[in-house]
Amino acid sequence: MRRFTGAAVMIAALSVSVSAQWPRREPPRVPKGADGKVNLVAPAPRAPDGKPDLGGIWEVSARREAPGSAPPGRPPLAVFANIGVNFPEGLPFQPWAAELSRKRVANQRYDNPDALCLPQGPLQYHLDPQPREIIHTPRKTLIVYESNYGLRTIYTDGRSLPKQGEPQPYWHGYSVGRWDGDTFVVESNNFRGVQGGHAADAWLDQMGSPYTDALQLTERFRRVNFGNMEIDVTIDDPKAYTRPFTVRVEHRIVADGWEMTEFICHENQKFLELTGRAPAR
Amino acid sequence: MTAKTASVIVLAGLIAGSWPVAAHHAFSAEFDADKPVKLTGSVTKLEWTNPHAWIYLDVKDASGKVANWGFELASPNGLMRNGWTRFSLKPGDIVTVEGSRAKNGSTNANAQVVVSSSGQRLFAGSGDAPQP
Repeated sequence: MRRFTGAAVMIAALSVSVSAQWPRREPPRVPKGADGKVNLVAPAPRAPDGKPDLGGIWEVSARREAPGSAPPGRPPLAVFANIGVNFPEGLPFQPWAAELSRKRVANQRYDNPDALCLPQGPLQYHLDPQPREIIHTPRKTLIVYESNYGLRTIYTDGRSLPKQGEPQPYWHGYSVGRWDGDTFVVESNNFRGVQGGHAADAWLDQMGSPYTDALQLTERFRRVNFGNMEIDVTIDDPKAYTRPFTVRVEHRIVADGWEMTEFICHENQKFLELTGRAPAR
Repeated sequence: MTAKTASVIVLAGLIAGSWPVAAHHAFSAEFDADKPVKLTGSVTKLEWTNPHAWIYLDVKDASGKVANWGFELASPNGLMRNGWTRFSLKPGDIVTVEGSRAKNGSTNANAQVVVSSSGQRLFAGSGDAPQP
């Protein structure tokens, strides 16, 4: 992923261009330092019930690390292109899963759900460069992903996870959430997995690392401070992996006024035309 | 708006921005990193559409024959957060685009850099780069 960096000059010219865009609107209760800038290390806000408030718009961190460099006890950092990039030995694939990943890449990633405007895998959604918004309500927490308009519903009304295979499998699985101290723990099952039958099913990353309908997903969300969220994601899928493994996702708050903006993915899908999947218009 | 004015605005937006651009497509399915193109032409259209914006240029070859080329940019949201608008490029603006040609051999490419007529190099923020 590329990022734009550089000195902010010619702001006057910029202000001309932004006047024609989605208006920026700073969210409420943003802590500021004496310099007027957002204080990203201010304490995490809390909801009226005393629990951390995870609500807000989040973008994936640009931080990178060297493979094997995560300190003991801290999961390796996952990145969008390859969630296993920081495992020196790679992901603990079952042989068929390694072969499927290899085939998906060799096939130019034609079936990546990201490219087909279909729901991405849970880690693709966490790591996509487009932002996502967490919305707490009294009985459920929603995560809205700008990318491909994904929506996850995490029930927090005390219900248990359904038995594996009881509801039909879903692209986003079935999720329940609870608090473990200041950590929001989300457990999910009943994913479609590779058994879903669509070639775009079950991509954990752009390498096409697969999962199956046996996936038990655990996500531990911890808002470290105002500006930073850590999500430790455990993939427990004995059909696809020889052991459970955990990766870390890092998010940064978006507090500069950019809001979620509609993304109608199929509007002008030239990908399909240029790869011969749809007639040219 | 003149071409020069437009390019100044685009440049300002790009260098002031800090947002990552959307990585949407499987680059290698659509474009060939081993077929770089660098073409100069007159903007005929800017499609401000998802999942990628496209600009089209009329490009004249050595024999004087004109072909219309399409170049994939980032998503409108990604471009917007980096200062672009749907008015950043106008028909008639002269720009040079560097990118990778479509694998199907059509006059389409993925844009990596847009260079204004005054020589400024502008990052186009097209989709994800070739992956490991």
